[in-house]
Amino acid sequence: MTLEEFREKVRELKNSGKYPVARSYILPALWIAEKNFPAITHEVMKVVAEELGVKPVEVEEVAEFYAMFHTKPKGKYVIRVCTNLSCMLCGGEGILAKFSDLLGISPGETTEDGLFTLEVSECMGLCDGAPAVTVNEERFLKVTSEKVPEILRKFGWKG
Amino acid sequence: MERLLLRNVDKENSHTIEVYIKGGGYQALKKALKEMSPEDIIEEVKESGLRGRGGAGFPTGLKWEFAAADVKEPKFFVCNADEGEPCTFKDRVIIEKDPHALIEGMLIGAYATGCRYGYIYLRGEYPIGRKILERAIAEAYEKGFLGENILGTEFSFDLYVHSGAGAYICGEETALIDSLEGRRGEPRIKPPFPVNAGYLWQPTVVNNVETLANIPLIIERGGKWYSQIGSPDCPGPKLYAVSGKVKRPGVYELPMGTPLREIIYEHAGGIVGDRKLKAVFPGGASSCVLTPEEIDVPMDFPSLAKAGTMLGSGAVMVLDETDCIVKAALRLIEFFRHESCGKCVPCREGTDWLVRIVRRIEEGQGTEDDLDVILSVSETMENSFCGLGMAAHNPVASTVKKFREEFLKHIKLGRCPFRSGQ
Repeated sequence: MTLEEFREKVRELKNSGKYPVARSYILPALWIAEKNFPAITHEVMKVVAEELGVKPVEVEEVAEFYAMFHTKPKGKYVIRVCTNLSCMLCGGEGILAKFSDLLGISPGETTEDGLFTLEVSECMGLCDGAPAVTVNEERFLKVTSEKVPEILRKFGWKG
Repeated sequence: MERLLLRNVDKENSHTIEVYIKGGGYQALKKALKEMSPEDIIEEVKESGLRGRGGAGFPTGLKWEFAAADVKEPKFFVCNADEGEPCTFKDRVIIEKDPHALIEGMLIGAYATGCRYGYIYLRGEYPIGRKILERAIAEAYEKGFLGENILGTEFSFDLYVHSGAGAYICGEETALIDSLEGRRGEPRIKPPFPVNAGYLWQPTVVNNVETLANIPLIIERGGKWYSQIGSPDCPGPKLYAVSGKVKRPGVYELPMGTPLREIIYEHAGGIVGDRKLKAVFPGGASSCVLTPEEIDVPMDFPSLAKAGTMLGSGAVMVLDETDCIVKAALRLIEFFRHESCGKCVPCREGTDWLVRIVRRIEEGQGTEDDLDVILSVSETMENSFCGLGMAAHNPVASTVKKFREEFLKHIKLGRCPFRSGQ
């Protein structure tokens, strides 16, 4: 998506009449950015600010606050491994280590080819399927170490 | 017990309006709009004794009465679908499998309280739920259950989904409202309560998903019928989300007040590998731990409060004898440190301090004095600005109190005694 196309999307959003004040469109606008850009950069934030009539810093403080918004470039696929209690008790930390080993990156990093970003996730509400992993919007439940390479291959991992 | 809240979830395409209507869905809305006044509905909900299922347990009918009495316009009706408490996943089942029960509950609530606009504040981690809810809302518009002059009456209501983006604090209703306004989700001081000064400082009702899913039942069958289910002072069915070391993790609908032992051993199938139960967090990550000797407690708000813990969201987390309680406490306080919004000192500094101390103990570098410091810091955190900080220390302080020997063992051995076994 180009910045101009994004600007158009934010305009459409603002015209939807969903909220009585422009400021409430900040999170929805940032979600559009999150899905269409590798990172929510200052240029992107500036477009949101201009279209919604708020200061760029007001957009920035929102973008920086929420864990699911990436202000640094992310990979095509964001792998989130839950290590919170239920997943931890069922082996979530081992699953995270397996992803880390196979991809050769630490949690928080992106592979050199830009394909994967690995993240430690707080609870994703998938505790009955612990340990749980998501890749973008797809869920993987009761994940075992053996299943990790399978999951990666599904998204183009060549290792 | 007859399945009430989960009555639809096993049906094929239970998320569609066709299946929901076929099962009697939207009849309660018709009854509410055509046969009942807003006052009648509030009386019915008050008679039911329904208490909010998000964690605080505030009487729903009373909240609606306060909102209805406020004359400021417009009023907003918000569904809190931001369940972010670790090990809580009960609302996800309703959102994904029975979204129309939630929408119908919101419509009845909005009519009763005079709200014109509604938002479902959904946690960002539920993208599948978002698609399902948006489709369900579109279906409800098509059938005339949403929009202008619903079912030919004077009542109009528009409903939208608002996605959060990964901030647990937004489950706190005032932080949720800040987030809905396009800000960082930080709690506001109460009073004023959102019911009088919420979204854009207008009257705003905030109800949890499970709470709202109860409403069509109460309208269909009456508050009196509903009040006969479960505990006398805390009636109704309850969704318990059970996870951790149980054979059958999942969401179980049982009468409010079902004993914890029954939930773990009968419904969730007992402990994995038939090992010994070690500890239970009965109401999510911010509840105080219970020992195996304490699990005959009825799972309702007053009984768990009496037992020194809380029902919270009804998320039961089970640990077995092979699990390290110090590590469990560490992981939970790490969560709260990550999620503290940083607005107030006791929470921001307290969670960080507790993480550092508990990690030191888990790694075998702790001292006995550390245990006193933990309890002292925890006491100070009681003075936090909002519930997050007030409860964040619970999993740590309660495990130090009830599993002190295990903390001491780490200190004496200079390592985690469970490390090799994990």
